[in-house]
Amino acid sequence: MILTRVLCVLLAVWSVYADPRIESEHFEEDLVIRPLKDGRTSARFSFTTTLENKSPRNPELLGEDDDSQHYTLFPLTLGQILREYAITELHLSLNAGKWNYDTWGMPDEPGVATGGELWAWIGDGAPTSVDRRWQGLRNALAGLFCASLGVMDEQRTTSPSRTFRPEGSLPDWGHAHHLRHAFLPSEHVCTENLTPFYKLLPCKSFSGIATLLNPHKLFDADWHGMSVHVLWKEDVGIQVRLTFQAVLDPVRNSWNNKRDWSLKSLFDRQIAQSCPVSSASQIRVSIPKDQPHLFTPQPSRVDGSYAVFDVSNTADVEMRWHEEASFENPATGKQEPVSALSVRRTLESVNKYRGSLKVAVTNNGGDDMQTTYLETLPWFVQLYLHTLRIECNGTRRGDLLRGATFTPPIPHSRPTLYQSTLTIPARSTVYMTLDVTKAFLRYTEHPPDAQRGWDLPPAVFVPIRTDGEGWDGVERVYTPILLVDLATPDFSMPYNVIIMSSTLITFIFGSIFNLLTRKFIVVKMEGDEKSGDGEEREAGRTGGKGGEL
Amino acid sequence: MSGDADDERIFLQSRKVRWSILAAYWAVILLALPLWWTTTSIQRLSLPTSRVEDLSREDLRFPVDITLNPSTGVDVNALSVKLRGLINARLGPDVRSWLNVNVHPNPVPGTDSYVLDFDAGSQDSTVKERNLTLAGDGSSPSKAANLLIDLLTPRHTAANQQKIAKYSPRYRLAFSLLNENAALGKSALGWDLNDALSRYLFPTLQSLQLLHNFTIESQVQFHAPLAFDPTHLNDSAHGLTHEDLTVFVNSAEWSLSSSASNDPVLHFVLFVPSIPHRPLYLLDSEGTPMKSNAFILPQWGGIVIHNFSPDMTSNLHMTPEHLEGIFSAFRLQLFTLLGVPELPKGVLCLDDALPSRWQMDSLLRQRSLENVASTTETLHSIIKLVNQIENMPVKEDVKGDIQNALDTLELTYKSSNSAKSALEYSARALTLSSRAFFNPGMLALLYFPPEHTYAIYAPLFAPVSLPLLAPVVREFIAWRKAKRAKQKVE
Repeated sequence: MILTRVLCVLLAVWSVYADPRIESEHFEEDLVIRPLKDGRTSARFSFTTTLENKSPRNPELLGEDDDSQHYTLFPLTLGQILREYAITELHLSLNAGKWNYDTWGMPDEPGVATGGELWAWIGDGAPTSVDRRWQGLRNALAGLFCASLGVMDEQRTTSPSRTFRPEGSLPDWGHAHHLRHAFLPSEHVCTENLTPFYKLLPCKSFSGIATLLNPHKLFDADWHGMSVHVLWKEDVGIQVRLTFQAVLDPVRNSWNNKRDWSLKSLFDRQIAQSCPVSSASQIRVSIPKDQPHLFTPQPSRVDGSYAVFDVSNTADVEMRWHEEASFENPATGKQEPVSALSVRRTLESVNKYRGSLKVAVTNNGGDDMQTTYLETLPWFVQLYLHTLRIECNGTRRGDLLRGATFTPPIPHSRPTLYQSTLTIPARSTVYMTLDVTKAFLRYTEHPPDAQRGWDLPPAVFVPIRTDGEGWDGVERVYTPILLVDLATPDFSMPYNVIIMSSTLITFIFGSIFNLLTRKFIVVKMEGDEKSGDGEEREAGRTGGKGGEL
Repeated sequence: MSGDADDERIFLQSRKVRWSILAAYWAVILLALPLWWTTTSIQRLSLPTSRVEDLSREDLRFPVDITLNPSTGVDVNALSVKLRGLINARLGPDVRSWLNVNVHPNPVPGTDSYVLDFDAGSQDSTVKERNLTLAGDGSSPSKAANLLIDLLTPRHTAANQQKIAKYSPRYRLAFSLLNENAALGKSALGWDLNDALSRYLFPTLQSLQLLHNFTIESQVQFHAPLAFDPTHLNDSAHGLTHEDLTVFVNSAEWSLSSSASNDPVLHFVLFVPSIPHRPLYLLDSEGTPMKSNAFILPQWGGIVIHNFSPDMTSNLHMTPEHLEGIFSAFRLQLFTLLGVPELPKGVLCLDDALPSRWQMDSLLRQRSLENVASTTETLHSIIKLVNQIENMPVKEDVKGDIQNALDTLELTYKSSNSAKSALEYSARALTLSSRAFFNPGMLALLYFPPEHTYAIYAPLFAPVSLPLLAPVVREFIAWRKAKRAKQKVE
């Protein structure tokens, strides 16, 4: 009797211990479709899972056993990685293509750097160092997403905390949080990355908006990319947001050169069943201004400049420009850029040793603009800051650049990190020129396969709002990536070098050795007064032969 | 001869100088040889081969003391002698090598022995802690001996033996609620796993903590399609044949694997079939549905298929009451996967938490024996491998791990009177030996054989050695000629 009572008490204690707070999870999905100026259509899928009243793992407790992880909607495989390495905030994006800011405007998801980009805010104070956990995180994510993120080693990792501010809150554990950031410009996103991506969704690609994630259509798009964002908001909890963004071209795929689209024509799929656990599923379509258009079906409501469709009773959405016979691309003529900032960046070089980095930033707006400027270059492209020239409207304007911080590279280990604040006068272009030298890599630092060159990561500009709103880190402008051609040795060379130098050493050694050991003999010629005997002549000849060896 | 004599007078031409130059070169080469040898040879520390041999010949022997309860009124002295004789006669020689059973008429102080009692009034034999109360009055020692042997050395069937997961000090228990297709409705959108775990599983895990630590995790999936179509039975039911069960886990679509930890995982899957596949039964070899809807995948985990009642109208959140039957199935599957032996037929357990002390003790002994066997096997393999492959480096860390494994193995033998510490030591020895076996440093030079080095340096060695050898030969011939000439003169 007593035993049963004790057991009951124990059970009660256990259940309280195992569930300290009631946690709830919810899931929302959202698809934003924007017709673009050049007839293309941008689609942004966003899947948000929120784990309420839960905070990231305190790194100080990494040495101890972790709480059990029980999730209903939150992806367990991602949760395990986050807790194993005590990551507070994480952003991963894998993109293919070049985002055209001038005609497409700012993207719905700011992380559009070509290739891979991974950054994380990691709390200090753990038994293992931040860098070890960053390494573990990279490798775990590489395994999870089938991407070669593992190569984002210390040669690519920087900490540009002025450009990449935390997007959520950072818990106060009494230790600082550190940023780790790395670009992987040569990485490409493909089906093998998408499959693990939608396995993290509660409804995978079987129901709800995720049904539309059809790899055949998405990877045919002019631009496509996926991203994973994990952040903690103090009053909400842990949020995982998975997004997929694509720029599709309905004009290219239409028979009559029209930009009309439907979900069926864009993705070759329709939403057959809605996701049973989604608390909000909607498709939002941006309504173009001053262009007659028709929606089928009628949107359930209009929210600002968006027509909103509820997925639970909509299988397909169609949009037609019914007064337009065929689409004509206005971008072929002179056209004002849509975005406030246009950036061009080139690397010019006449030889394999030196070159110059040229960056041209144009402010398309009518007001002066301030942006941060981030440049992270691998160590083998060395910047020379004293050669920096800034020109605007034909005059040298060194005063436009302020607050520069520079972390010089360490050969074979650390990349360059250069951050500064740039002021761009209204309606003008600022030209920056920097001299660079290109290093000669070690034999083993070249990849084993034939290659096209080395991809340099993009530069990042973050406009600083001066209208009182202060920092707005969410709007970022990435420049296209660059390709640098380094001096490439002939890889059969080591063997040639060994043979050449062996021959040389042998030659020198042989001659010196022979000189030292040769026996010189005075050979007396016939007719001399004292003629030598035959034996001596014989010895002299052998000596001579020996010398030739 | 006079010319030679002339040359000898010039210092540079003297035979002595020439010989000493030659000797100097050869001395440098000969002296450099050992240096070259040590810098290019692979570090191969000698392994304690004889100690491994000695230790693997030793046996881990568990002493087991059984005390008769003196209050029974039977002649305990006679009974104890009889029981000891019977037990030792009936234990096979292979069992007797690791089990040493002693029956004492009176309690031996200082040992936690098993106590045997008789209860004439009872129908069933019962175990409680380390006590065994036999039904009957103790007049048939043969029956008692058989029961004791069954309790002390329970035998797994071959099929069950295959299901047991390899020993690990820590397991992850992954509970997954998989809905085949929740979008069709009438599915389980969540479960009160924490409540169910604390009610039905934590007491068991608590007692199993003698052997393993557990990390528990859980997830719910709403779309977990099968990779095959279940067999259609009449009356709208579906069935899974034995062949279907082998491919039941659809690892391409069910994201059950994880990349964060190396601990072995035992999966417990609650599968809810979609409406068109309901009800889903397991079929026996004749194709008729079986009563049980749970099955084990050996060393992987357990699966329970749950068919909701047909009059269910909407989606459901599973409460601990729903989960009670499912979790008792999970618990039995956990016992099988961890190798917990069953109690012999006709023996009841009076303890609150299963498994009983008797089962735990025999499991501890079993696992220790397994660990010791696989440790010695691993150590043997390392030694065999190192002897076989001459390019395999053996560094300090490998040698240290092997030595530590041997030390721990010795400690295991010494602590055999406490099954718990024997298990701890044996597990540690196993970890050390497998760490030594998988040491990445042992593979370092395997793929760069010395032939390649010689091939690359041949262009240097061959031309250099010729001028070195030629003068030696030449001088030797000259010296012999001179000697002969001298003899001729004499």
